[in-house]
Amino acid sequence: MSSSRRPLIEIENLTVGFPDRAQPALVDLSERIERGEVVAITGPSGCGKSTLCRALTGFIPEMLPARVSGAIRIDDRSVWETDPAQLATRIGLVQQDPDAQICTLNVWQEVAFGPENLCLAPEEVRRRVEAALDAVSIAHLVERTTTTLSGGEKQRLAVAAILAMQPEVLLLDEPTANLDPEGAKAVFDLLDALRKREGRTLIVVEHRLGPLLPLGPRLLVMDRGRIVLRRPTRRHEDLVALGLRAHWEHRPPPVSPLAGMGLRLEEVSFGYESSSLIEQLSIDLCPGEILGVIGPNGGGKTTLLRLIAGLEKPDGGRVVRPEAATIGMVFQHPHQQIFERTVQQEFAIDGPMSPDAFERALCAARLTGLAKIAPFSLSLGEQRRLTIATTLRRAPDILLLDEPFIGQDRHNAAWIIAQILAACERGAATVLVSHDVPLVASLCDRVLYLGEDAIVGDPEVVFSELTLRGQTAFTPGYWEGKDA
Amino acid sequence: MITRLAYRVGTRGLHRASPAGNVLVLSGFLVAVLACPGVLVKIGALVLVLGLAVLSGEPLGTFLRNIRFVVIFALVLFIAQALSNRGGTPLFSLGVSITDQGLLAGAQMALRFLVILTSSFLFVLVTDPDRLAHTLIRLGIPYRYGFVFILALRFVPFFQHELRTVREAQRVRGIRTSVRNLAGLQRAVRYTFVPVLVSGLMRVDSIAMSMKGRCFGLHPRRTTTRKERWGGADWTAAALFAVLVGVAVLARRQSWL
Repeated sequence: MSSSRRPLIEIENLTVGFPDRAQPALVDLSERIERGEVVAITGPSGCGKSTLCRALTGFIPEMLPARVSGAIRIDDRSVWETDPAQLATRIGLVQQDPDAQICTLNVWQEVAFGPENLCLAPEEVRRRVEAALDAVSIAHLVERTTTTLSGGEKQRLAVAAILAMQPEVLLLDEPTANLDPEGAKAVFDLLDALRKREGRTLIVVEHRLGPLLPLGPRLLVMDRGRIVLRRPTRRHEDLVALGLRAHWEHRPPPVSPLAGMGLRLEEVSFGYESSSLIEQLSIDLCPGEILGVIGPNGGGKTTLLRLIAGLEKPDGGRVVRPEAATIGMVFQHPHQQIFERTVQQEFAIDGPMSPDAFERALCAARLTGLAKIAPFSLSLGEQRRLTIATTLRRAPDILLLDEPFIGQDRHNAAWIIAQILAACERGAATVLVSHDVPLVASLCDRVLYLGEDAIVGDPEVVFSELTLRGQTAFTPGYWEGKDA
Repeated sequence: MITRLAYRVGTRGLHRASPAGNVLVLSGFLVAVLACPGVLVKIGALVLVLGLAVLSGEPLGTFLRNIRFVVIFALVLFIAQALSNRGGTPLFSLGVSITDQGLLAGAQMALRFLVILTSSFLFVLVTDPDRLAHTLIRLGIPYRYGFVFILALRFVPFFQHELRTVREAQRVRGIRTSVRNLAGLQRAVRYTFVPVLVSGLMRVDSIAMSMKGRCFGLHPRRTTTRKERWGGADWTAAALFAVLVGVAVLARRQSWL
């Protein structure tokens, strides 16, 4: 076979197992990826997508110890016989959390970091930095400190930092998971531009496949460590037919709202130093009602939850809660609200439980058999279920959820939705912050767009207004392929 | 407290000097207070630090507010020395005899502590840590060590954020941690620092992969593109260093008070 006909990446019977897990993360996986191809990889949480990314870049087993068998070759050269640093000149990985991959304190230095490590001439480093910043449209941020960037800006910076290395293959592991809809749209537009302009090989791990369709990707669906489906995909109908587009049933509006006051915000204002985040926001929430909060990164969504929870005092106005109301708050990252050494002890923080009640709680949270396990060793999905279960154990009158769906597959998302609905039926006034616009549209009774010129109202009214403003990324239509 | 102890962007005074120039100024202060025994030089050095802070755009009130704990600790040092040092001539009595030697020793120690801490604080305020690390690398420190410094600074705001969030999560869940007894302290450490540590370890893994994924360590040397220029402000800093060292030497020889 001549070298020109060889695939760029060849995976042969790859099996990867981690020391602390009985089941292998990847099982006898084989795949060929050609030059210039766009490949979209999807599948439920824990199916091995990130493991595959780390194996392709040589981090497994070099930096993350694992049992490996089979072979991965890039241009006929074994990945396992190559130093990951050397491999990085061929294949660049953009990780899920942009914050967790920024190594320096300044935008220019961050993009120059890779080329400088390659010992390129200073003129070449400068040229590459300028080109990479231009490619992701953040040349204006060149002098900024990395800690002052928004989530979207950080993700673009992470892509620019990899682009400056000029790898043949760009591998992106859920690049939009932490981004607001407009930030996510910008990343998808950027990928489209890279494919059209440079014909670069793109491998993208994503849950949200709709916006990737214009790139004409070859779809790989993974499940339990295997690729279970391979198919070129261009139409939203294909995703629907394959059951890959999350479709949430609209929640019927409550026939008669529960009586009383669930939560009231009276002309609440808040800001940091000279900048104002929330201005004279007034909302009345009935018991059992769900308010969905959407908006750009840094727009004040988490701050709003903190104000409601009493963790922050408003600069103006007031937050009125029913007397002796219990507040439950689910934080964005589950590990930030896990404190004990075992799952059982974690439940016991909120008071003693009978063995039967504890078993029922474990079963409801789909954590049966994990009572003695250290919570930090649970998967992200299991940690999320644990934190929601312990939060709801206190039967909160006000339930606050900050991006509970990040990193969760459809099954986990459906479980979370069921818990929210159960809490609402019991009368909890619920505030849900989420970037998942279609889900917010289907689940929430009212929507608050928190950004410049906040809007609050019925979902249809808010989304119509956002469409008129041209902020289509914040409308469900964009994500459901009606406006892609 | 950690937030206040951080670099601030500015264009005045020592902000105009390169990191190497600021290292010289800091070294000058350290030499001056450590080499000469007299209090007058230390008082002069302290006044000079405050003057340089104002010259560098830091309002005096803000600067003093930020170092208030340092001042309080210096006062404690002074009082402890004055009460415990019985040598010299007794001056008056506060239950225990206060001597001239005790007061002088207290003033020496408190002023030395104040000058070292305030000049270091000023150095942090006016020196871009990123540029400092690159300067150190250019001066011959292996770049792997230089980046340890940059990464340490990179983690400061992250740990602050994590710590705040974990404490808030405790408050929302009604967890009260007390450090009044050993069991309470142990619980507070476990409930606060374990989640923060887990976050830190997760981030360390990601950043290590990110660095390796951008060829960090591939070659024994790496390109340093941004070069620091030695300008007028640096010459002034060098002159200040020379003056401080000169005064220290003179004070030591002449046995100034």
